[in-house]
Amino acid sequence: MSNNLTFRDVFIKGAVIYNPVLIQLVGLCPVVAASTSLESAAMLSAALCLELIVTCVIASALFKKIPRWIRVSLYLIIGTAVVCPILWYTETMSLVNLSLGMKIYVPLIAVNSMTAVHCEQFSVKNSVKHSFFDAAAAGIGASIIFILVGAIRELFGAGTIGGIEVNMPVTFKGMALPFGCLIILGFMAAGLKAFVARFYSAYSDEEENTVKPVQEYSEEITEVELFEEFWAEPAETVKPFVPVKEQEAAPEEVPLDIPEETVAEESAKESTRSFDSVAELDAFLRSLGIDIDEKGDKQ
Amino acid sequence: MAEKVRKMNTVKASQIFGDYIVMLIAPCILSVLFYGSRAVSVIAVSIVSAVLSDILMSIVLKKKFLLRDLSNVFIGAAIAVMLPAGVPLYIPAIAAATGVIVAKIPFGGSLRAPFVPAAAGFATVSVCFKEAVFSYTENVEDKLLGSQSLASLLSQGKSVHFNLGNAFDIISGNIAGPMGTGCGILMLVCAGYLFVRRRGALLATAGFIGACIIFVALFPRINASLLTRIILELSAGSLLFGAVFLITDHATLPQGNINRVIYGAVCGLACMMMRYHGTYEETVCFAVLLTNGFSPVIDSFIKVASSIGKRKGAAEK
Repeated sequence: MSNNLTFRDVFIKGAVIYNPVLIQLVGLCPVVAASTSLESAAMLSAALCLELIVTCVIASALFKKIPRWIRVSLYLIIGTAVVCPILWYTETMSLVNLSLGMKIYVPLIAVNSMTAVHCEQFSVKNSVKHSFFDAAAAGIGASIIFILVGAIRELFGAGTIGGIEVNMPVTFKGMALPFGCLIILGFMAAGLKAFVARFYSAYSDEEENTVKPVQEYSEEITEVELFEEFWAEPAETVKPFVPVKEQEAAPEEVPLDIPEETVAEESAKESTRSFDSVAELDAFLRSLGIDIDEKGDKQ
Repeated sequence: MAEKVRKMNTVKASQIFGDYIVMLIAPCILSVLFYGSRAVSVIAVSIVSAVLSDILMSIVLKKKFLLRDLSNVFIGAAIAVMLPAGVPLYIPAIAAATGVIVAKIPFGGSLRAPFVPAAAGFATVSVCFKEAVFSYTENVEDKLLGSQSLASLLSQGKSVHFNLGNAFDIISGNIAGPMGTGCGILMLVCAGYLFVRRRGALLATAGFIGACIIFVALFPRINASLLTRIILELSAGSLLFGAVFLITDHATLPQGNINRVIYGAVCGLACMMMRYHGTYEETVCFAVLLTNGFSPVIDSFIKVASSIGKRKGAAEK
């Protein structure tokens, strides 16, 4: 990594283009389980940012020469060491009224995959300064998503924002459930991909995708439906099920451009072939793969 | 040859959903007969919502809108007949919009959707508006069950005295329940139509109903004879409707005959398990959505199993 990278470069990459939640799909468990309201999402984001920055900076400063199999365990220990005091302090001082579900999932931040991924992919290979930039960018990117998802779920699920009642005509209980969060995340991920493709096309991987997203949905499909007719046809004429793709891939018979007369002459020659010597006959038989010894026996 | 096969086997969305819409006409007419203009409102709102959602998403995604594929009409109508007549009108609108926007468009259309959009829409409103979706106050004139549905009664372990007087009401769907899905006779007629048009799809239906019957026979939850139990369980809620309309969805059906029977049986088993142990009285949509996820797995499993069987056979020879 070049040394002249600015925070802006790292931030745009870490928080937008490679957003940890929407693009890298790490840290989904805390966001799905705990971001049911704006308050809990803000609490979760603060804990996550702090834990990520501290762990990445320590990893960059100290863990570069430690074997990989030990490093991952150390990330988890540091994460736990950072999160436990935060949780204790928050509960003791009653800063935020944590629900039981929230209490269960806050410790998950300590062992979430986002920390391990950023420490292993970036921090141990770069300087402390750049690791701090990367961790801060990823933390801010994830926090924005957490807070947005929390706000949307609270607004549509409970009809409030940050505890303040909003006059919503309809509320959806499903938004508080994991499936509601996953639907929101899916649409947000699609929106972010479209944003990156439009404004940061150099980073867009749409062209490199092996599995192309469906661009147009047409009215027709080419599914084989032969098995639909298996009762309609007599048993003798039932054709085996062969997918269309395989049939297309199979080599087609190429018609030979030889006139029929020439083919007839050649076959007549073959049937009335005569040999002038034994050596000629022997050579012909060898060309057919038949080996005959001096006594005339087949080998 | 390949060209010929491809032409032979080209399937149009308009053909598939056209068939479903023809089949849906009967449940819609039955709903109107039972519930009058209220049923017309629910069906119309649901269909309009589905079509408008598709148009909106086509504008947002800058795609060509295809009304002629008829899938939106099917999604809207199928969701409407699964709902009670007294449901607030915003619920069918939300259900149809969810089915189209969440389960159909992101996957490239209804012939590529990995989950049945109508089931997804109904399941969403079942979770979000449970009280309204399972409230049958519109059926107050029903003297047989009052405003309690048959599925709800069965879930409480209560049976219905099944005699010649009420048998026709139960199998014709003239009891508290979803608007147009309770009529077992109509569902059989629809299955007959499907047999003529796409008989391969009915293998899943056969597997589904077979699994349900076996489950009911093995694990009774009401004190009644076997035949009564089977008739009551099959007539309750949208079970038969799901077996004919939802599980036979072209995009989510597995590719082989045995695969389809297994797929249907797994769905039937899931449906009955949810009925017995779940919190919702209407479980067929959840079961269909759950089994949709297993459809490719069933295909792969059968493919691997058949290849192993062929290898063993070749080795024995």
